Amino acid sequence: MESVGNTQAQLFGMAAEVPSASALYHAAEKVRDAGYKRWDVYSPFPIHGMDHAMGLKKSWLSALVFFGGLTGFATAIVLTFYPSTIEYPLIVAGKPVNFFTVPAFFPIMFELTVLISAFTATFGMLALNGLPRWNHPMFNWDRFRKVSNDGFFLAIEATDPQFDEEATRAMLEGLGAKHITLVHGD
Amino acid sequence: MSDHPGKVTSKEYFDYQGFGGKLLFVALLALVSLGLAAVGGFFSAKQFAFSWLFAFTFFFTIAAGSFFWILVHHAVDADWSVVVRRQLENVAWLFPVLAILFIPVVLSAKTLFKWMSIEAGADPLLDGKAAYLNPAFFWARAAFYFLFFCVATWLLRRNSVRQDKDGDARHTWLSRKMVFPMLPLFALSLTFGAVDWLMGLDFHWFSTMWGVYIFAGSALSSMCVLVLLVTALRSAGYLEGVVTIEHYHIMGKLMLAFTVFWAYIGFSQYMLIWYANIPEETIYYLRRNTGSWNTLNIIMVIGHFFVPFVLLLFQATKKKPLLLCSVAAWILIMHLLDMYIVVLPTYHKAGFSPHWLDLVCLLAIGATLAAIFMKRLGDTPLWPLRDPRLANSLRLKN
Repeated sequence: MESVGNTQAQLFGMAAEVPSASALYHAAEKVRDAGYKRWDVYSPFPIHGMDHAMGLKKSWLSALVFFGGLTGFATAIVLTFYPSTIEYPLIVAGKPVNFFTVPAFFPIMFELTVLISAFTATFGMLALNGLPRWNHPMFNWDRFRKVSNDGFFLAIEATDPQFDEEATRAMLEGLGAKHITLVHGD
Repeated sequence: MSDHPGKVTSKEYFDYQGFGGKLLFVALLALVSLGLAAVGGFFSAKQFAFSWLFAFTFFFTIAAGSFFWILVHHAVDADWSVVVRRQLENVAWLFPVLAILFIPVVLSAKTLFKWMSIEAGADPLLDGKAAYLNPAFFWARAAFYFLFFCVATWLLRRNSVRQDKDGDARHTWLSRKMVFPMLPLFALSLTFGAVDWLMGLDFHWFSTMWGVYIFAGSALSSMCVLVLLVTALRSAGYLEGVVTIEHYHIMGKLMLAFTVFWAYIGFSQYMLIWYANIPEETIYYLRRNTGSWNTLNIIMVIGHFFVPFVLLLFQATKKKPLLLCSVAAWILIMHLLDMYIVVLPTYHKAGFSPHWLDLVCLLAIGATLAAIFMKRLGDTPLWPLRDPRLANSLRLKN
C-alpha cells in the first residue's frame, strides 16, 4: 500500500478513490453500515442525499442561529427602549415615549435579529466545519488534486475506533475503491 | 414515472364509493345557507352586502393564491410541487364559480361602495380619483379580472390534464411559456382587485402596499389549504407514496416564509401610515385601533404572526402532518379574521358586532365551492400521472 506525506508524522487515515458520484454515495452507505464514525467523503460538487448516506445527524447550526437571533432581538430592545424611553425621552412628531412607541423600533429589532442570525449562520457554519484551517493532510496526496475536477474520494481517519490497517483496507477494497493510500500529516 | 415503474401503488383516481352521502350533505348545506343568505339579504341588505364581501374575499384570496403557486411552479420549473399541483389546479379552477358568486357583490355595489352614489363635484377627493373610480371602468376591470383568472386557470389545467393522457412533454413547455405573460397579469389583477373591492370601501383612504398585503395573505392561506387538502386525501388512503414527509417539509417552509412575509408587509403598511400621521391615511388604522376592533386587531397580530412563526420555526412541526395541519387550520382562522377586520369595520364603525349573516355567507360560499370541488375531484387523476418531472418529485429529499 502506498504511503504519502511525512511517514514519520502522525497517520491521518486511509484514503481511496471511487469512479463516480453514485459510487461514492453507495460506498458511503456501506462505510456507514460498517459502523465507522470518523471518516469523510470528498467530491467536486455537493451530492444530494449524501448526509443521509453518511448517516449524519441534523446539524446543530439551526439551534445556534435561533439563539443568535434571540441575541440580536434582545440587543435591539435594549438599544431602542433604554435611550428613547428611559435615558433621554424625546418627543418626535407627537409620538409617545413609552411602550407604545414600539412601531418605530420594530425595524431595528427585525434588522438586528436578521443580522446576528446571519452572522451566527455564517461563522457557526465555518466553526462547525472546522474552518478556517491552513492545510489538510489529504493535500499531501497528489492524486487528491482531482477532487476539484473529476475525482471522488473517501478517507477513514486513523482516530476512528474501528480503524485497523488490514480490516479497513479489506473493506475499502470490498467497496471497489481504487488507489488505496495511507495519508500522513506533515 | 419512466425510471420507477410500478413504484406507486396508490389509487390514481378518486373513488366516490361511500362518498355520496358527504357530497349530498355539503350540497344541501350549500343550498340551505344560500337560501338563508338570500333571506338575510332581503331583510338586512347592508349587513348582507358586507358579510358576503367578507366571505367572498376569504375564498377569492385562497383561489388566487393557488393560482399563484401554479404560476410559480411552471415559471421556475419546479420539481417538488409536481405531485401536489393537481390539487392546486382544482382549487384555482373554482374561479368560474367565484365569478358567479360575485353577483351578490355586483347587486349590492351601491351599498358597499359609497363613491358610486356621489355626484361629480360634491367631493373634491373623489373628483381627483374620477379617472379611475367611475362605474364604467370599475365594471370593465372586474370583468377583466374574472375573465383572466378563469381563462388562465382553465388553460393551465387543460394542459396538465391532457398530459395525463398522452404523456407529451410539450404540454410542460407550453405551460411554462404561458405563465410568463400570466405572471404580470396576475399581479395586476390581484392588486387592482384588492384596490377596487376592499380599498374602495373607503374611497378617501389609500395605501400603496394594499395589493401586496392581500397577496401575502392569499399565498399563505392557499398553502395552508393545500396542506389540509393533501392530508385529507392521504388520510382517506390516497396519494400514498406520492406525497411524502419531504413534501410536507417544503410546504411547511413556505408557510413559515409567507407568515413572515405577511407580517413584514402588514407592518410596513402600518408603520408608514403611523409615522407619517396624515389624517387621510390614518383613518383606516384609527378605526381598527379603537375599542373592540383594537382587541381583534391585537389578536390578529399575535395569532397571525407570532404564534405560527414560533411553531413553524421548528423542523419537527413541518415534518409531522398532523401538527402542520393544526398550524395550517389556525392560520386559516387568522386569515378569516384578517379579512373580517379588512371589510366589516367600514360598516360597523363603532365596534365589533357579529351578525348571523357573517356565518351564513361564509357557509354559503364555502359549501358551494366545497361541493363543486368534491364533485370535480374524480374527473382527473389526483396527481399529474405523466409529468416529465414526476420521478424527481416522488424521490424528493430536502
